[in-house]
Amino acid sequence: MPPAGPPPLLPPDVRHRLQGLKLRARRAAGSASGIHASRNRGAGLEFAQHRAYEPGDEPRLVDWKLYARSDRLFVREAERESPLTLWILLDASGSMGQADGARPDWTRLDAAKALAAGLAQMALAGGDSFGWATLAGDRPHLLAPGAGGRHRDRLWLELATLKAAGGFPSAAQWAPLWSRIGAHDLVVLLSDVFDPKTIDLAGRLAGAGREVLAIRLLTVEERDFPFRGAQRFRDPETGEELPGDGLQLRADFLRRFGEARARIGAELDTRGVRHVEYVLDEPLDAPLRRLFGGKA
Amino acid sequence: MSAALLAPLGLAALAALLVPLLIHLARRDRQRPIDFAALRWLEPRPKPHRRPHLDERALLVARLLLLTLLALALARPALLGGRGAGTWLLVAPGADPAAARAQAPKGAQARWLAPGFPNLGQSAPEEAASISSLLRELDADLPRGARLIVAVPAALQGVDAERPRLSRDVDWRVQPQTAPPAPPRPPSSPTSAHAGPQAPTPDQAADQAAVQTLVLRAAPELEAGARYVKAAAEAWSPSATAAAPDAGPLSAPLPNAARAIAWLAPGPLPVAVRDRVAGGAVVLLPVEATVDGLGPATPLWRDAEGRVLAEGGGLGRGRWRRFTRPLTSEAMPEVLQPDFPARLAALLSNPPPPPALVEARAYHPLVGAAAGSPSPQDLTPIMALMVAVLFAVERWLATRPQRADTP
Repeated sequence: MPPAGPPPLLPPDVRHRLQGLKLRARRAAGSASGIHASRNRGAGLEFAQHRAYEPGDEPRLVDWKLYARSDRLFVREAERESPLTLWILLDASGSMGQADGARPDWTRLDAAKALAAGLAQMALAGGDSFGWATLAGDRPHLLAPGAGGRHRDRLWLELATLKAAGGFPSAAQWAPLWSRIGAHDLVVLLSDVFDPKTIDLAGRLAGAGREVLAIRLLTVEERDFPFRGAQRFRDPETGEELPGDGLQLRADFLRRFGEARARIGAELDTRGVRHVEYVLDEPLDAPLRRLFGGKA
Repeated sequence: MSAALLAPLGLAALAALLVPLLIHLARRDRQRPIDFAALRWLEPRPKPHRRPHLDERALLVARLLLLTLLALALARPALLGGRGAGTWLLVAPGADPAAARAQAPKGAQARWLAPGFPNLGQSAPEEAASISSLLRELDADLPRGARLIVAVPAALQGVDAERPRLSRDVDWRVQPQTAPPAPPRPPSSPTSAHAGPQAPTPDQAADQAAVQTLVLRAAPELEAGARYVKAAAEAWSPSATAAAPDAGPLSAPLPNAARAIAWLAPGPLPVAVRDRVAGGAVVLLPVEATVDGLGPATPLWRDAEGRVLAEGGGLGRGRWRRFTRPLTSEAMPEVLQPDFPARLAALLSNPPPPPALVEARAYHPLVGAAAGSPSPQDLTPIMALMVAVLFAVERWLATRPQRADTP
């Protein structure tokens, strides 16, 4: 049961919709099922328990040796030894603090926190272990992977105090990530992926054998650019300001931003990073469903 | 009809229009910048089009209107020429309105030539007034382009002694004498109209009676001169058996009914006598009396050479008369003339009114007077009402609930 924290990071309806989803990693799945025939045909490797046969169970799962001894049908259940460790990389740089004018209390970081909570929920449901790192300021803040409800509570506690500030860490400060994120781990990056360093980090992780997924968080204003009249735009990380007329800038921005989105997507594709886009007005489970819902 | 400003400097208050404009503009700079992480894909325009952006336009318009109206009210707008241009047909009382209307062009404003200029549709005005004065008043009130047609009977009553001089040419239509003229009405004021110079009016008769009860008060040093006056007063008496004139020293009391007083004393006029004069009496003064504070004097009696023998003026409702020479036969031989009593009576009585009956044909007004400036109609009450209404509108706009925060 989730703790009765003050702000529900994950709305109940989203939690409900996430129940059918399972974390899936392509490489992990491949290595677990093996290529050669094996005497262990169960779903997992390690024996867990016997249970009574129920109609509909596969005959090959029935423990026929036990049937010979006891004259009753038992099904051999194996505990799947999880090969999967989920790493949630949470971008907490200043740009993540941006919200839409129409919904100022729903920042990009809030959505990222909710997605992180959802991912943790999925990992918990699948018995996978998960760890996280927040990427902002001088060095990433890491918590080693773990499993279970207490670890999830630890994540929630940390997320509750997380604020978006500073810039994305530079490549020299990524060292802890290399040492902690093991090969074949599943890495989910929650970021706007505007900073080239973000692409670089994801690409390097993917190149080093990790399976990297990216959820690119966009605000509604970035998608629609609904500004009218004279405005002043400010980059939250550099503080740079740009005055301009909303209507005049719109067409040009939408074209250039569309090109940039396509270019970022292409670059992520090239470097082996699966990615989905999530705009703040979409339901929270949509990007997770797109990442894990279809046939992997 | 045209509008004018009586105090154009009040328009300087229009400078206050800048205040609401600034208030409604200033909010723009207080606008918070928008956090926008995708700034790198916003193309900075070299010259961002800074169109002046005004918030709350309806409220701004209301405020600007309010200030404009206030400034206009300060400038005291007025309407000049209360009466419209066009053709005006004036019918003098006594003329036939139907005949006058038949001659006038269509669309002419038809009025009686009477105080207030009532419509011709009303019955003929009873009150007589000076036609010359009415003509001048109308001429001053009408705008420049208005044409004036005046229909008058063959003979005019209540006119000035000279032809009126107006600023415009008047279409002067004299109606032929068809009906016998109305009997002359008694004039409303002593100076307005008289039937003729010969017949004494009741006023003059009363004056004559008042003069005959001349009260004589003389200082001892002027007793010699007082004899001439007393003799003249005795000569006025209709019969020798009548009572002698009331003559006495300065200390003798003045009878209350005295309407003609000969106050033959040097120096200024005592206050008691002065009050009598202000109350309607006439006072006769010697040359030794000082007349400071009695008002301007006009010569009233000249001798054969044209030298002034007596002067006089008005004081309150009464009059004062003063000889300009000592009352001696050497300085003023006229006192010995047989017509001295009559002359003295004429001096003390009212001046005869000028002739006021004239043949209308000879009374065509002259052209050449300066055009009068019509009295302006002050619009301040209307402006105040509009300002109040606009203020209510502005308050309503400014306090309605579905309003943005400032200003």
